[in-house]
Amino acid sequence: MDVRSQISMVFHLDKCIGCHTCSVACKNLWTDRKGAEYMWWNNVETKPGTGYPGKWEDQDIYKGGWEKDGEGIRLKGAGKPKSLTNIFHNPHMPVIDDYYEPFTFKYLDLIESSAGDDQPTARPISMITGEPMDIKMGPNWDDDLSGSPDYARNDPNFANLTDAEQEAMFELERMAFFYLPRICNHCLNPACVASCPSGAIYKRGEDGVVLINQDVCRGWRMCVTACPYKKTYYNWNTGKSEKCILCYPRIESGLAPVCMHSCVGRIRYLGVMLYDADQIEAVASADEADVVQRQMDMILDPFDPEVVAAAMANGVADSTIDSAQKSPTYKFVKIWNMALPLHPEFRTLPMLFYVPPLLPVVATVSEADHSERAGELHDIAKHWPDSWLYDTTTKELFGTIDDARFPLEYMASLFSAGDTTAVADRLKKLMAVRLHRRLVTVGDVAKETVDAALADTNLTPLLADEIYYLTSLAKFDDRFVIPAAHREQAIEMIEFTGDVKGNTGFGFKVGSAVRGA
Amino acid sequence: MGEELFRTTCAACHTTGTDRLVGPGLQGVEDRRDHEWLVSFITEPDRMIAEGDTIATRLLAEYIVPMPNLGTTRAQAESILDYIASANEAPTGETSGTPVAQAPATEEQVLLGQALFQGHTRLANGGPTCNSCHEVTHDAVIGGGILARELTTVFSRLGGPGVRAIIGSPPFPVMQKAYEDRPLTEEEVAGLVAFLERADAEQELHQPRDYGIKLFGFGVVGAALLLGLYSLAWSGRKRGSVNQEIFDRQISSI
Repeated sequence: MDVRSQISMVFHLDKCIGCHTCSVACKNLWTDRKGAEYMWWNNVETKPGTGYPGKWEDQDIYKGGWEKDGEGIRLKGAGKPKSLTNIFHNPHMPVIDDYYEPFTFKYLDLIESSAGDDQPTARPISMITGEPMDIKMGPNWDDDLSGSPDYARNDPNFANLTDAEQEAMFELERMAFFYLPRICNHCLNPACVASCPSGAIYKRGEDGVVLINQDVCRGWRMCVTACPYKKTYYNWNTGKSEKCILCYPRIESGLAPVCMHSCVGRIRYLGVMLYDADQIEAVASADEADVVQRQMDMILDPFDPEVVAAAMANGVADSTIDSAQKSPTYKFVKIWNMALPLHPEFRTLPMLFYVPPLLPVVATVSEADHSERAGELHDIAKHWPDSWLYDTTTKELFGTIDDARFPLEYMASLFSAGDTTAVADRLKKLMAVRLHRRLVTVGDVAKETVDAALADTNLTPLLADEIYYLTSLAKFDDRFVIPAAHREQAIEMIEFTGDVKGNTGFGFKVGSAVRGA
Repeated sequence: MGEELFRTTCAACHTTGTDRLVGPGLQGVEDRRDHEWLVSFITEPDRMIAEGDTIATRLLAEYIVPMPNLGTTRAQAESILDYIASANEAPTGETSGTPVAQAPATEEQVLLGQALFQGHTRLANGGPTCNSCHEVTHDAVIGGGILARELTTVFSRLGGPGVRAIIGSPPFPVMQKAYEDRPLTEEEVAGLVAFLERADAEQELHQPRDYGIKLFGFGVVGAALLLGLYSLAWSGRKRGSVNQEIFDRQISSI
């Protein structure tokens, strides 16, 4: 058993309101630079939709992630032979139009134009060429199902849905969507790390954050192809690739990453999980149907004395083990079994988990006879001559999972490599907690219904209350349990700090990396 | 002193008899030319040719190879002329500077010469390889220099003795300087002469083939084949943006 610690994340999609605050916070902090304008280390997509970059989930186009190769696995679009034969032209890379061409506006024209007959306008200009341009796209162009014939209809997750199911999703009265915020998954088996010919990408030993060393990166861009989530980006100004760094400077000083800190819906959770690194290869090569469950099994119980002893023997700090025991992500992922990784079939073992959105049907539309009530209306009231009834008083208040607005196959395609029972289990738990709380707070649900729902999902009222607390009432320190970074130990590995004590202060000998070729 | 000078500086191209090597045989030269003209020509032949001296110009036209300025002083020129005169008065009538009749070159000699010319075999005394300055049209020789004369036809131009004489003791200043302390051995000279003779005799067989327009044609066809192969090998590549269709339609509808 090779116990290591990993900072993992849970995004609770039921709570995401799609406000893009996370994206803007990240953009302002990290990618508001020349060459990085088009990058969104954090982005929020509308599902169904093609996302950013367009159709990133379709690995027939982008060749990202791993694929089965006999007993083992191999990179789909990178690796030694493929990298060598494509050394001068990487043939499956996204182009700028797959993301979008970043733009700004010539605001100065508004105030500096000479007097004339026409009102001055601020023309859009490209942030790459500086020339005036026609805006064709943005990073969230398909937000809230806009342009759905072009975007939502082409969602790669529809592959397993029948035409009838797809049509049902786009019926005007039934259309639904949810938001999918995405950052780097800081995978356990990262394809970007495996693909880098320069060895510039590494997974930090102490917390598993995946980073690109800007001094070593040579701009081969194999990681851009290899990452199936398209979360490494090429900076055309510095000639190097960049990616989400999980705000490690913030984490090291005990602060939550800025996307999580700024989250309006408080959907994001961050905490340490201990896992068995010996199993990575076996789990990544498992049958597609088993990958999710085996990844869950790989995560170890931080209360198990054997695990704790192995972790300590492996150099995991006491404070980290303590954090792992308090970790909110461990609760969501392992104890309550409510979260799933995004696209586990890419076999990178992502450590960002999603609680799938419930999207309950809270009302039904049925035909009814309104003629009786018509006489009650005042003369000036609008009288609807149709016979539809929008009914919010159904017996099953939240409907059942099978009535959910999204076919389970769609959710399963996103979160469980096609396993609908895995998704249904999680949705049922969400539903059971809701029913329980409805009983507690409103009391208009039959107790038998609630008890049945809880029993069906192996929950107790106490457990349901715990889930409710972490979902809805959790405070900052409940949502983010950040382990101490122990930089004092790291610095002592590099230099003897006694030498500089009393001089100019502590610091690494190596100056900050000068970016750029 | 005169004999020594004649042997080292003149004998490459001239005999004291009547035989013509590169230049004319010099028997009775004092009877044919004015003494003062001879001394001037021996000391500064390049100047006289440049100034358009009638006799010098006529000689150049006849013998093709111009006589180089060998830096001879007037006193040396006098002693050389004395030696030529005395050599002709010798009772035996023997002439010096005439190479003995050549035995036909062996195949080994030709191969040795070929190797020496290209530098596959170094010259024994360390002199520079021929093809650093000279070129010969011969299938076995690749890429000679263009600093000095092209030597394919040297044998027919100068004849065996001339070639042998020039290689043995070069009359040209650059070559003289190059081989001053590093003279060629007898076998090397024989080998090179044999090789040059062979190259001259077989030059018709060693002409590079002229493919004309076909060469260009093959180039075009080859490039097309390669490009076709590449596009086949990379036929699965991603072409353009996944959103191109959307952009095209939106722009055309404006």
